[in-house]
Amino acid sequence: MRPVAISVDEPDVSRDLAKKAGYTFPILSDPDAGVIRRYHILHPKGGPDEHDIARPAEFLVDSSKIVRWCNFTEDVRVRARADEMLAAARQLR
Amino acid sequence: MFAIVALGCNAAFFVSLPFQQAIPWLSLLFTVVALIFLALGLKRVFSQPEVYRGKVLSIVLTVIALLLAGLSALGFVVTRKLPSATAAPQIGQKVPDFTLADTTGKPVSLDQLLAASSEPSSSEPSFESRAPKAVLLIFYRGYW
Repeated sequence: MRPVAISVDEPDVSRDLAKKAGYTFPILSDPDAGVIRRYHILHPKGGPDEHDIARPAEFLVDSSKIVRWCNFTEDVRVRARADEMLAAARQLR
Repeated sequence: MFAIVALGCNAAFFVSLPFQQAIPWLSLLFTVVALIFLALGLKRVFSQPEVYRGKVLSIVLTVIALLLAGLSALGFVVTRKLPSATAAPQIGQKVPDFTLADTTGKPVSLDQLLAASSEPSSSEPSFESRAPKAVLLIFYRGYW
């Protein structure tokens, strides 16, 4: 299972984040929120200076690009539970 | 003596804000409990008119505590104001394709993420050489 993070942050911002946090998985940039819109998870004016950003969402996608698990928190302070996602990932083996 | 205990009751409120990092509903519960202690504390202090100093300090702490109550409640409301995700891809549905820049500016597509890595990338040293069983797309707010 390969994690991939996506946000509106520019590549250099994401690079700094990856460096500081020690992340080695891909972090992709969607600065105009085009992909975020296509996934219907836009948070209009949700960022500082009222920038459009993504609302938090996770999708476990199999090799056929089908969603096998997803999580849409209703509270930005509550993060997805890793055990729920891993249980779904194990079922793909 | 009672005034000190009453003032102590006011301080119960300062517990509320740090807990916001944990479970939101628990923080709301703490806010309510703190407000109850605040009221009890005020009642005690004002029932003892001879402790003048306690009254003034108690009022100051009450104002601070009520401001924290407001912040706590506001925080609870604001962080839950997220748009609905009912139109987003659900279990069993196919996700849209995409091609986005990685941290080096190189375009990366969903197909590439799902395929085996043809060569190890120096910017992504942990890339598997076999095709992954699945990809976990983590959309986050950004502005870290």
